[in-house]
Amino acid sequence: MRPRLPALGTIAAAAVVLALLPFQLSGYHQALAAQVGIYFVAILGLNILTGYSGQISIGHGAFMAIGGYTTAIMSRDHHTNLILTMLMAFGVCFVFGLLVGLPALRLSGVYLALATFALAVSVPQLPLKFSKFLGGSNGIQSHTVVSHQRLYATAWAAAALLFVLAWLILRGRTGRAFRAIRDSEVAASSSGVTLPVYKTLAFGISAAFAGVAGSLYVMATNGFAQPNEFGVILSLQILVGAAVAGLGSLWGVLVGALFIGLLPTVSKDVPLVGSAHGQDVVFGLIVVLVMLLLPTGFAGFLARGARARIRPQPGRAS
Amino acid sequence: MRSKGRMLGALVAALAVAGVAVSAAAGAHRADPGITKTSITIGGTFPLTGPASLYKTIPAAEAAYFAYVNAHGGVNGRKINFKILDDGYDPSKTVPLAQQLVEQDHVFAVMGSLGTAPGLATWGYLNSHKVPQVLLATGDSYWGFCVRKACAGATKPWTSGWQPDYPGEGKIYGRYILANMPNAKIGVLYQNDAYGKNYFAGLRAGLGKQAKNMVVDAESYDVTNPSLTQQILALKSKGADTFAIFATPSPTITALVTATKVGWNPTTFVNNVSANRLFLLAAAANGANVDGVISSVYTASQTTQKSLPGIKLANSIIATYGSALQANYAQGDGNVVYGLGVGWTFVWALQHAGKNPTRASLMKALHSMKNVKNPFVYPGILMNTSAKDNFPIEQEILVKWSGGKAGDWHPFGKLYSGVR
Amino acid sequence: METVETPQPTLAARGRALRGVLRPVSVVLVGAAVFLAVGSLQSEIFAQQTVAGLAQGAVYGSLALALVLIYRATEVINFAQGELAMATTYVAYQLIAWGLSYWEAFFATLAIAFVLGVAIQLLVIRPVQHKSVIAVVIVTVGLFILIDGLVTWKWGADIKFMPAPFGQTVYHLGGVAIARQDIGTLLVSILSVILLWLLFQFTKVGLGMRAAALRPAAAALVGVRVDRMLAVGWGLAAVLGAVAGLMTEPSQYVLQPTLMQPILLYAFAAAVLGGLESPAGAVVGGLVLGVFLNLVGQYVHAITSELRLPFAFAVLLVVLLIKPAGLFGRRTVRKV
Repeated sequence: MRPRLPALGTIAAAAVVLALLPFQLSGYHQALAAQVGIYFVAILGLNILTGYSGQISIGHGAFMAIGGYTTAIMSRDHHTNLILTMLMAFGVCFVFGLLVGLPALRLSGVYLALATFALAVSVPQLPLKFSKFLGGSNGIQSHTVVSHQRLYATAWAAAALLFVLAWLILRGRTGRAFRAIRDSEVAASSSGVTLPVYKTLAFGISAAFAGVAGSLYVMATNGFAQPNEFGVILSLQILVGAAVAGLGSLWGVLVGALFIGLLPTVSKDVPLVGSAHGQDVVFGLIVVLVMLLLPTGFAGFLARGARARIRPQPGRAS
Repeated sequence: MRSKGRMLGALVAALAVAGVAVSAAAGAHRADPGITKTSITIGGTFPLTGPASLYKTIPAAEAAYFAYVNAHGGVNGRKINFKILDDGYDPSKTVPLAQQLVEQDHVFAVMGSLGTAPGLATWGYLNSHKVPQVLLATGDSYWGFCVRKACAGATKPWTSGWQPDYPGEGKIYGRYILANMPNAKIGVLYQNDAYGKNYFAGLRAGLGKQAKNMVVDAESYDVTNPSLTQQILALKSKGADTFAIFATPSPTITALVTATKVGWNPTTFVNNVSANRLFLLAAAANGANVDGVISSVYTASQTTQKSLPGIKLANSIIATYGSALQANYAQGDGNVVYGLGVGWTFVWALQHAGKNPTRASLMKALHSMKNVKNPFVYPGILMNTSAKDNFPIEQEILVKWSGGKAGDWHPFGKLYSGVR
Repeated sequence: METVETPQPTLAARGRALRGVLRPVSVVLVGAAVFLAVGSLQSEIFAQQTVAGLAQGAVYGSLALALVLIYRATEVINFAQGELAMATTYVAYQLIAWGLSYWEAFFATLAIAFVLGVAIQLLVIRPVQHKSVIAVVIVTVGLFILIDGLVTWKWGADIKFMPAPFGQTVYHLGGVAIARQDIGTLLVSILSVILLWLLFQFTKVGLGMRAAALRPAAAALVGVRVDRMLAVGWGLAAVLGAVAGLMTEPSQYVLQPTLMQPILLYAFAAAVLGGLESPAGAVVGGLVLGVFLNLVGQYVHAITSELRLPFAFAVLLVVLLIKPAGLFGRRTVRKV
């Protein structure tokens, strides 16, 4: 499915809402909205890889960690401007993504999933090993204090920019190559798509997006980067968000981001006996239920609704 | 589709205008957040879920103490309202929770939060907002040093700890070994993070120049690997006859059992955090040889010091306000007494912060303790803080286990001080 | 155009193919065994580390066995396998607390685990299994979180104690300490593999399960209730998981909700090493991994404790890149 850009009016409305929302919300809620933006970026990145080029990754937390630590280290050692560190995170993670994509060429399906899972588990161990440079278990403090409003603005500006970037990439030749690879590698290859180039590129782009998300993640914790922030659970959450989002719809990615960003907070407030653990029960239950009801994600749900309304048009390529 | 978009846009614009108007009207600021004539609201972040959740008895005990105080009129007529939040030991969760406490719940102080990394993630924010971050439940040294000294870019005058710090405790073991076992060959097992490394550094400091000779091998372990056999076999093979375990509770139990299993019988030291009676009983039940194991304590013991007035008070508080803790408490869970001790200290500070405490007067009280006797702290150990030294408790007493599977810790020797 | 496996119609042909696969692998394994034997005779610490590695590896292998069974039956990696194993261990704990003896609780737990596994397959996996592979994976992730939350809610996160099934006796063989518990765990793992093999080779249910996994459409045509076989597969995997949990708990001396989380990670590596479709491979892979990691930890100082887990996964990656089918797996050739 080509990424459908919603109508101009809806985009304008969304932009207005985003711009004015912070004035409606308390600082604390602005931070929450910023979290949604961060997950939006990460899920968008994973969608490019998994949804559009068909390569599974359960390791995006690792790329977020690399991006986040880039921001923390540059801020701690060189007091670099935070926006600049975000760009650096983009670049660094793009390179890492390419490096990961190379051996990934030989793997597919569950094997690729396990290999990326290995990445998610291993990368958080590295700060413990190289604790002088990477801060060890006490983390890296870069004493940057980012106000709630600045965080919100940065996160959603980045989200908007990266969405446009993703749209440009996916509507063009690269996107067509990705979709061809996803649908059938053999067919794509025989149509002239250089598999290694595009598959590695997909990893690179996807990782770069995750790197920006990681950079924002560290900014949200006041410039503090520590291994526990980037555990396996984070990778699994991004994957859940991408699955809830489904393919081919901007609103899907937004729904996925809202789901992952807000559900923990919502499920914390659900009254349950011994409610400290109610949060996990509620979260897990809702993830299972959502997958049962919407196995193709929110985008699939929209597509079904759209198909029900649209008259079938002959010769329409998807 | 286009008209829908236009309608939506207009609706949103209207909402936005309304929103700006509303938020302009809102927001008169209270001068002293969290404190009224009848109540004080405080909060803390704790690992109620996740890998460190076995410490959740600490906030439960603190809550029980506050319930007791509230039932007896509160502090100067103010009841303490204590919010316990779960951060799962993940700093990226601790930060929004701290922000929630300050900006949504408007707490007077953040009290008792557990964990070094969570504390470090939030101390910049809390100090810049001048919110007390007190009685942190971790033994890191940061909380004692940074009142006047700049740490990570700024002084942290609003942050304080409570318990003796880990390097100080390690130093005590080092000093003891140097004085009483000068020919010891020490093998160290330490957790490969700041927690374990700090203890190890303290041990070496206590051994002084002899550290290089006396420590024959040091093995680290990672929390992702519950088996310690490989490391303990290595230590045994290097000929160590003294075993220092700087680990959290579960690995400590594993280490004690494994050492016995492989036929190694060194003089063993365990750190205070893992020296809870429950854990030693567990190790003994699994076959570990625990008689003679040495550790240190600074809290009173409800199993061996039953006649202390503090313990009698603890008994009645747990029976009345903390019945969920009763079972663990009766078996000797030291974390319960720890929590009561922290709660007592906070109330003491409130009482010494004037009739109408402010955040600043609270910090002043905490920074000027002079020989304060806390009933839940081991008798003889006094709490002291000053401009130069912000560690309330620095002394510890060594204890040795005897009695095997049904045994307990028994103090010996003099009070040691982990003073730097 | 579907991908088709190299067909192996006759038993004789399959036997030949199997021998073809096994020959280089057996050479490697025998060579490794010889190396270990020689090393153990030379150095006590080498022997100790090997024995300890085998003990740990048996634990990894027992969970890997459950993973392999699910994968073989459904081509799904069940992320919730470890948590399910942990939950069934808590069930055993509760039964013992209610007065049953250890072995009574053990077998009762296996029965309960079977029912639980089947129930999960029917309620939660079946609705999505034909729709999307990703959806099934996500469901198992959701189950992971849900089960962990439920167990912690019901029993709390503080440590609990269970009796040790094989006691605490430790035998000393020429200076090497071998715990009775470790021997027991190893024997239980091997027994599980043998029982599983017997089930697959000689029972109708086993044959049905193999058919449903290999050729679901054809199997359905000859009367195999494919969906039922999948449910049985999940039930069986849950039983194996329960065994894994019950063998893991004595190795950690305490019971807490994080019991299986580190084991799961190593079990993935073990399963890949042995071959994701081979039960025997799972156990052998676990043993090899356990011994290898211990020896590396003892002799290679660059691989410090922080790097042990990444190193295990590096092994996994190397296997995936060189021989993705693992030690005992068959290479599937895709024909267009």
